[in-house]
Amino acid sequence: MLELADVHTYYGNIRALRGVSLGVSTSEIVTLIGANGAGKTTTLRTILGTVRPRRGTVSFDGHRLDTLATDRIVRLGIAQSPEGRRIFPRMTVLENLELGAFARADRAAIAPDLERVLTLFPRLRERTAQKGGTLSGGEQQMLAIGRALMARPTLLLLDEPSMGLSPILVDTIFQIIRDINRQGTTILLVEQNARMALRVAHRGYVIQTGRIVLQDAAAELLRSDVVRRSYLGEK
Amino acid sequence: MTGPGVRAAALVAALLAYPFVDKALGFQTVHAVSDGMIYVLLALGLNIVVGYAGLLDLGYAAFFAIGAYAMGLLNSPVLGSPLYGYAWSFWLCIWLAAAVSALLGVVIGAPTLRVRGDYLAIITLGFGEIIPVAIRNLGDITVDIGGWRPIERLNLTGGENGVNPIGRPYLPGVPFETDPVPWYFLILIIGAASLWSMNRLRDSRLGRAWMAIREDETAADCTGVNPISTKLLAFALGASFSGFAGSVYAAKLQAITPGAFEFQVSIMLLCMVVLGGAGSLKGVILGGMLITVFDRVVLTQTTFMVRAAGRAAGVAALTTADLTLWRWFFFGLGLVLVMLLRPEGLAGRRVRPVAVGADDADDPMVLEPPPAPRAEAIPRWLRDRAPRGAATDPRAPILDVRGVVKQFGGVVALNEVDLLVPHGAIIGLIGPNGAGKTTFFNVVTGLIRPDGGRIMLAGASLAGLRPNAIVALGVARTFQSIRLFPQMTVLENVLVGEHCRLAATVAGAVLRPPAVRAEESRARARAHELLAFTGLGDKADELARNLPYGDQRRLEIGRALATEPRLLLLDEPTAGMNPRETEALTELIGLLRRELSLSVLLIEHDMEVVMGISDRITVLDYGTRIAEGTPAEIQRHPKVIEAYLGTGGEQDLAARDRSR
Repeated sequence: MLELADVHTYYGNIRALRGVSLGVSTSEIVTLIGANGAGKTTTLRTILGTVRPRRGTVSFDGHRLDTLATDRIVRLGIAQSPEGRRIFPRMTVLENLELGAFARADRAAIAPDLERVLTLFPRLRERTAQKGGTLSGGEQQMLAIGRALMARPTLLLLDEPSMGLSPILVDTIFQIIRDINRQGTTILLVEQNARMALRVAHRGYVIQTGRIVLQDAAAELLRSDVVRRSYLGEK
Repeated sequence: MTGPGVRAAALVAALLAYPFVDKALGFQTVHAVSDGMIYVLLALGLNIVVGYAGLLDLGYAAFFAIGAYAMGLLNSPVLGSPLYGYAWSFWLCIWLAAAVSALLGVVIGAPTLRVRGDYLAIITLGFGEIIPVAIRNLGDITVDIGGWRPIERLNLTGGENGVNPIGRPYLPGVPFETDPVPWYFLILIIGAASLWSMNRLRDSRLGRAWMAIREDETAADCTGVNPISTKLLAFALGASFSGFAGSVYAAKLQAITPGAFEFQVSIMLLCMVVLGGAGSLKGVILGGMLITVFDRVVLTQTTFMVRAAGRAAGVAALTTADLTLWRWFFFGLGLVLVMLLRPEGLAGRRVRPVAVGADDADDPMVLEPPPAPRAEAIPRWLRDRAPRGAATDPRAPILDVRGVVKQFGGVVALNEVDLLVPHGAIIGLIGPNGAGKTTFFNVVTGLIRPDGGRIMLAGASLAGLRPNAIVALGVARTFQSIRLFPQMTVLENVLVGEHCRLAATVAGAVLRPPAVRAEESRARARAHELLAFTGLGDKADELARNLPYGDQRRLEIGRALATEPRLLLLDEPTAGMNPRETEALTELIGLLRRELSLSVLLIEHDMEVVMGISDRITVLDYGTRIAEGTPAEIQRHPKVIEAYLGTGGEQDLAARDRSR
């Protein structure tokens, strides 16, 4: 479904991605784990076209993404919950969610999806009329995920969805990730919480200074010595 | 002599030789260049306000007018000025003009301090319009109170006609009346002196405070910088430089009219700053010289050439062309091009992209853990600041919060919250998202006024104190979403942290007496020690924004430590960190408590961290304290499990425990 082939992305002269190749098949959950600054977020940005690869290709369902405008990429069915939330602070929670469905053609199906998101995050239902910027950090995180779900994407990109969430909500989020995956959404998950990510994912990639250094079934990665030492904090 | 030394000497020689070369070659550009230098001086003053303090001022020409009119009113026969006619008049009046401008800078700055960004720009725009209008209309004042006229037809400003003549400077044997060269040197001296002081101000406690305000006012306030006085100072100093420029301009021109200080002048000055690069002295000089030379020399000369070419080629349209009428077109075009190609200005500090795995070397498969914090690396001066066991009573709390209430609209964010932090304790503050944890931090640090309750720091109430005052009392914090000063270096970020422990004033920053020099070098030494301790020793000169995430978190803690806190508030310090970094940070927090008796209040969602290092934990839900106790008690507390931990979290934690 999604295919990155030898992608090199630069910020100015700094090489952020040095030949990343990875694939996500339909209805998979794939996780990308790695240290801070390894290139996880850059990979997501390259997929969505907010930065462009200098070399390599990104393709999605037969479309080349690396030359397509970001809004067109979203219309192909890719949505993301970005790092740092990036909600619209001066719009209400409801408006934020509605904007998530901005590019959708199936107007009639939006209302039930809104209901679904508000059921997933009861806290957001309590605050629909509140301005996004007045939410707490964790609530903004929920809003960012909810907004991405409102696009009803076929491929969902999640950038550290568990960041800043309470333990009970971290569990909930990973449950939600599993649920929406079962309902047919393919997911590429970037997480600092590698243990949880690998538990929920089918396959995983380990990225280090802009290169994929390991890839395997998630269960295998959980058992791998390198992953355990470097990313799970085990001795 | 070194390379830069040679260049500087060459520049000085060129500046000194220029008017004589000009005279010898008969160019007659000294007048234009001197006027240009006045505008450069103005732009440099504006740069303090816009480039350093980040306050967009669209009416800066008003201060130019005030400086010029101060000179005009004090030193002109037209309005019967008592100071007119003495040999020393001019030399006194330039100082008076600068003082008047600075004073008005404060007066005008004061009401604008609480507004930011766009609103500030609009207010200054209005002010820039008011001043010329006021000058026009104060040429004929009559106060009529029921037939009684205490003031009748008073000419205060000369009205539309302006002030003419204005007293010239006098120095024995120097022909200020007939020769542009003495003016050139007078302006050069004033300009050089201003530049010298600005350069020193920039690299001082005050310059750093301006830039911190520009970068993030809230973070600056919470790091101990008083935003009100810092911004007022920027307005006052910016205005005083325009006072010098305005008064010299008035005396040089011999006649001033309100028309010389219209909105376009403000915009042109702003163009100079932006074109060259806001915040860069070199850039502003470059921008100023480019625009004035282009305007006063290039456009007029090119007009002659175009006309000559037109006559030669027989094109009638060209023979009457006047390129000077197109000046705003060229300014606009130039500005658009610069913004598109070099948005940081011609000589601005280049903003490098965020470094990601900057080195090209192949890295080992297993990542090196971040440097473990070492007790020996704790800077001595921090240890010396640490409260001695005898000096503080461990039973007396450092922070004692009782019944704090805060409502936002109808939502009760904090509902009668009590919280106690004993000396040298680590207290965890946990709770579901939106429970009010960060609001609690904001109340304690003074960012938000509580609606009720009391907050005592070591027995003293914090009620009504501004965040920077609370920092000075010894409370430092970090932010959930990191709030560094991104365009300042790592070292400067820590130095801003030391701001409230330093004392240098404006005069001290410019003149640098031994005490200030000693203070500054001590501050730098301390900052370097602190960076070495937090594992950032080799990154002192990087821009903060270029640091990887984990380093930014550590820098924020380093900056907080630089304020010499007794109580440290950490808002989700390990969010977004991998297990290794989290472990190192946890050790760091424990170390600070052990070695420095630092008290810590910690918001954190990583249960391994909170349960591992907290002495006691308070749990908030919907703004209400639902539990308080030791980590073991909290882990078993049914309400906490239901609202916060969940059963899965418990399992996960247990799984982690087993894996260790």
